[in-house]
Amino acid sequence: MSAPVDVAPDESLPAIRGPVSAGRLTRAALPALSVVAFFGAWQLAAATGIWNQTFVPFPSTVWRAFIDTSTVHDGVRGYAGYLLWEHLYMTLRRVLVGVVIGVAAGVALGVVMGSVGWVRRIVEPWLTFLRALPPLAYFFLLVIWLGIDEAPKITLLALAALPPAAVATTAAVAAAPVSLVEAARALGASRAQVIRDVVIPAVLPETFTGIRLAVGMAYSSVVAAELFNGIPGVGGLVKDASNYNNTPVVLVGIFAIGISGLVIDGALRAVERRAVPWRGHV
Amino acid sequence: MRIPKVTAALAALLLTAGLAGCSVDRSQPDASKPTIRIAYQTFPSGDLIVKNKRWLEDALPEYNIKWTKFDSGADVNTAFIAKEVDFGALGSSPVARGLSAPLNIPYSVAFILDVAGDNEALVARNGTGIETVADLRGKRVATPFASTAHYSLLAALDQAGLSAGDVQLIDLQPQAILAAWERGDIAAAYTWLPTLDQLSKNGKTLITSRDLAERGKPTLDLAAVSNSFAKDNPEVVDVWRRQQARALTGIADDPRAAAAAVAAEVGLGPDDVAQQLKKAVFLTPAEVASPQWLGSDGKPGNLAANLESASRFLADQKQIPAPAALTVFQNALYTQGLPDVLTR
Repeated sequence: MSAPVDVAPDESLPAIRGPVSAGRLTRAALPALSVVAFFGAWQLAAATGIWNQTFVPFPSTVWRAFIDTSTVHDGVRGYAGYLLWEHLYMTLRRVLVGVVIGVAAGVALGVVMGSVGWVRRIVEPWLTFLRALPPLAYFFLLVIWLGIDEAPKITLLALAALPPAAVATTAAVAAAPVSLVEAARALGASRAQVIRDVVIPAVLPETFTGIRLAVGMAYSSVVAAELFNGIPGVGGLVKDASNYNNTPVVLVGIFAIGISGLVIDGALRAVERRAVPWRGHV
Repeated sequence: MRIPKVTAALAALLLTAGLAGCSVDRSQPDASKPTIRIAYQTFPSGDLIVKNKRWLEDALPEYNIKWTKFDSGADVNTAFIAKEVDFGALGSSPVARGLSAPLNIPYSVAFILDVAGDNEALVARNGTGIETVADLRGKRVATPFASTAHYSLLAALDQAGLSAGDVQLIDLQPQAILAAWERGDIAAAYTWLPTLDQLSKNGKTLITSRDLAERGKPTLDLAAVSNSFAKDNPEVVDVWRRQQARALTGIADDPRAAAAAVAAEVGLGPDDVAQQLKKAVFLTPAEVASPQWLGSDGKPGNLAANLESASRFLADQKQIPAPAALTVFQNALYTQGLPDVLTR
């Protein structure tokens, strides 16, 4: 459940954005240092030989698996006939479509739930019910209903992405500052203008957090979504390799999912900074 | 004051739930006795009869017997690598993989549970116009990957002059195969009972594992024992093998009682299970210890050659880096005391 989302202190705060200093250097060096320490510890753990290679393979073995899955070698194309980037591309495409559908539905639902009390009372228990379900529990039903191709996978990812977006938007809409709304109305703004100029700017920051959470939820459901007929796909790759006790390839898949998750979250944060520069300053 | 109270109540609840969790497990191990850990699977076999009738518990009262259910041979292999099980039931394909590099699992084949017969087969859906295995070219064929059925499917394609790339292979578990089949998403599937029965109702059987066995590609369900356990407890392995032999005799002599015991373990009706037991091939204890299969003490049987052939096949399919040598498989057949030990 480690969604690639962490609500770190906002880097756009002017207080941190000082002149180039020792602080900045440390900030760049610390993550790099932790990566080096991680690989050092890993290498050591593998070299002690306490654990079987199937449990703790050498970093170099995993690197070789990465090269093998990314290239055509002795007539074999990557892993299971697809290169690593092709697996990743298919997964990202599924996640993108699923998240777009899930977030769109979630935000729309959230706006309605936030503004209309009785809708919220009806829908909220269902949403909580859905949120509590591990995707694995209902994925088999999706396969029966929707088949084994893209539909059940995308539906699963959309269902995973919907609740966080809906919950965050609901809370934000309900919490839109009444004083600002009333002030705008007093100044003669129409209902549409109030929504456009007051409610949406107030809701956007929370919604963005919801979207980032939604992407994280969808991403952490990738292996479940690609459990059946998941190749090409990184989740399918991880599942297939674990069927063969092929730990190096499993680790390659995990790194691919984790690193692409980091990149996506970074990109979302950059978009967030552009789209809602007033975040934290309201 | 309210919040600490709620917190305390929550903590108490968690603690109770955590403790109560243990009490649901009905097998109460006796701490004073050593434990034998057995990995079993729910394909119909004598292993389930031994479990259901508690023969091991009765024959080895000085041990705790811990039965753990596994869903695939890959998981059983993982448990062996982790040194978490002493005995395990798994297919010949996972065993061939486990004995080859890079896994090199230190276990031996101590018994043959069954030989796949008509209980595993390749079926094509009616209306697809597929009459032979060769007609599968370009069609979508589903099978649970890494299983004996996957191995058999690749072998069947190979014998029909097709490679794995000539068909669209899809990794599906049996329940999902049934769903995809009824929706028309797949043209054919290689799977086992009970799913196979439902597919056969509107499908044509192209080849069964019995046919493949006759053409030199048998798949088997085997029971493995960890080498360290067998070395330290040879007498336990002897008792265990005698119970397995007793179960095989039971399947042959009293199939109704055998079916009832298996049915109780797998949650199907006794009649369904009786049908399934008829379709698999159960060897007699004498056959198990014959040169064709496990062999006898010091003379490992032909099973080693079967496993070596499976290993070579897996290497051809790039599922393992390189095949293991025949001697590896010969050394991995636990033949100590065979065949007399089974009848004593």
